[in-house]
Amino acid sequence: MKAMIIKELRLIGKDRRSFIFLLLMPIIFIVMFGSIFNQEGGSSITLRTVDQDQSSASKALIEQMKGIMDVKQLPTDHWEDQLDKIKQGQFSAMLVIPSGFEQSMKEGKASNIKLYQDPAAQTETAPIQAILGSISTSYREQKLTDLLMAKGDSKAQADAALASPIHIENVSTNSDHLNMIDQVVPGMTVMFVFFIMITMARRFFEEKKTGLLSRIRTTRIKPLHYLIGMWFPFVLTVIFQCVILFAFGHYVYDLKLGDIAALSAVVLSLSIAGTGIGLGLSFLVPGEGAAMVVTQIISMGGAMLGGLWVPSYLLPQSVQTIGHFLPQFWAQHSLLDIIAHGAHLGDIWGSALILLAFGLAGLTIALIRLPGFLRSAAN
Amino acid sequence: MVQVMIGAEPLHTPNSSNNDYMLEVNGLKKAYAKKQALENVNFSLRPGTSFGFLGPNGAGKSTTMKILTGIVKADSGSARLFGKDLTREPAAVSRFIGYVPQEITLYEKLSAYDNLLFFGEAYGVSGKELKQRIHDVLARTGLLERSKDIVSTFSGGMKRRINIAAALLHRPKLLILDEPTVGIDPQSRNHIFEMIRELNREGVTIIYSTHYMEEVEALCDEVAIMDQGSIKAMGPLGELLEQYGSNAIYLEVPGLAELPHDPDVTSYRKEGSGWLLETGSSAAVMQRLLRLASQHRWDVKQLEVVRPSLESVFLKVTGTALRD
Repeated sequence: MKAMIIKELRLIGKDRRSFIFLLLMPIIFIVMFGSIFNQEGGSSITLRTVDQDQSSASKALIEQMKGIMDVKQLPTDHWEDQLDKIKQGQFSAMLVIPSGFEQSMKEGKASNIKLYQDPAAQTETAPIQAILGSISTSYREQKLTDLLMAKGDSKAQADAALASPIHIENVSTNSDHLNMIDQVVPGMTVMFVFFIMITMARRFFEEKKTGLLSRIRTTRIKPLHYLIGMWFPFVLTVIFQCVILFAFGHYVYDLKLGDIAALSAVVLSLSIAGTGIGLGLSFLVPGEGAAMVVTQIISMGGAMLGGLWVPSYLLPQSVQTIGHFLPQFWAQHSLLDIIAHGAHLGDIWGSALILLAFGLAGLTIALIRLPGFLRSAAN
Repeated sequence: MVQVMIGAEPLHTPNSSNNDYMLEVNGLKKAYAKKQALENVNFSLRPGTSFGFLGPNGAGKSTTMKILTGIVKADSGSARLFGKDLTREPAAVSRFIGYVPQEITLYEKLSAYDNLLFFGEAYGVSGKELKQRIHDVLARTGLLERSKDIVSTFSGGMKRRINIAAALLHRPKLLILDEPTVGIDPQSRNHIFEMIRELNREGVTIIYSTHYMEEVEALCDEVAIMDQGSIKAMGPLGELLEQYGSNAIYLEVPGLAELPHDPDVTSYRKEGSGWLLETGSSAAVMQRLLRLASQHRWDVKQLEVVRPSLESVFLKVTGTALRD
């Protein structure tokens, strides 16, 4: 068996296709999704602004907005062309500060600034309106403070008079909502773990097709030792794959790995699940082509339904329910618990056992089908 | 020495308890879904024999070898090596057998050394002893300097040599080679022949399967002619040639479309640019042919007596030429 394991590890190490599927592709996906979500995180709300007044008051207003959102100033000439871009859906809102803005303020008149917006993009424009409303309120409060102080109140008295009777306290609690990198790194790792099934099926069919399996049967290697000797290197490969991908997430995206013991337990269970199913699949399907198709269905379908691409809570309830029957769901669920919610060994053992059960089912199928597989190899 | 059989009937049956025989095969039968692959195959081998299985593709040679190596199970019959049943105690006898399959069964992405390391350990050899044996077999194959090269970079002949080397690491008593020279260059073929002869000289019993008569003639001292799942004839090469082969006369006359009947000629057939006439009275037939040549002013290019060949034996035993 030791000979089988060493030989198989050498072969896996020389397999470029496996390297692409198991390491390169998930890293590309992590980088791709990571870049997208990082950009979104850095600029929550963007507002394009045209400052026709170019006064100190208008500049102060823009500076105030910059503290809250991403403000992109547009040139004042041909600014009407920008309206067409709103109509074309290129952006959803544009603020125009008209000439005479500062003058109106000095005269105590209402300064009329215009917010052009796409009525079809209310989700995006609503926060902008809220922010602008808040800024407008702060201007009003400043005006009232000035009035009260002019009537002889102190600053503290004026602030107390304007204080809201309601105080909202922010309290953090654990929820399903996640930082997207917390979702992407384990999601892509789990998805590409199941691609090991292609490599496994390919190796078994190669052994059979080339006559190597028949030849091995003439040696002292017993069928069960052959099976374990072929399987175990893939378990090690998946563990190695997970270590590389989580290390990549940790060092490149500052992913917090949580309890390493719990993470190791899930990775081990996941590797047994993925390779166990791969083993069962290799002995069930009639050929390498069929194995490829089934692997794609299991990997991609499982990724979609198991909440690897988008958080499970965003999926329809029916899909969430289906997800509970997939190993990907339990792997992702437990990994997110560890990474995002600080779960420990005691919290994830149930998911780990479910993953092991999937692996055991695959192993059982392989054991049942092994004699037939060996017979078919003889011919 | 092997027992001689005609058709499926042995001329004499060896005593199964006779210790002279290292391998005794009795009544092997095997059927696949649409074909009776083996029909009552019997043979016995003494140690040190170089035994050739000669027959066309589909004759049952590979199936016999796969049964002997435990890859395929026989439907009935028995095969005993050193008195142990090959089908019931495969683990006990596998250490005595080295098997070289028809296909090149090596890991192409691994080096020759790593392949041999794997097969050596698979046969139960390990440590320093295995390393020494790998060195020995690589030296025997003439590939010692290429040992660290990846097998996929080897020529077909080199791969065949490593394919054989992988079966030698546990020093088997019986080496079974299933068409080990298919598709290789003459140099590699000669190298393999020399390896096999050397192993045989060292006492390794050889079973060599082929459909090339010249290989059997070059390597084997005993032959079984197989066709359609059964052994049609078997025995020492000389005896088979004596028993079934007949002298022949080769005559080459340009433009000669047919030959007059001669009562001493048993068969006429076209061979190359001339005719091959099988006869038991070559001198008399030759005399008459010379007379005819003189009468009809034949432009005789070649007229000679040809020694009996394995091909003529095969033709006589099976009724077909091997290349058919």
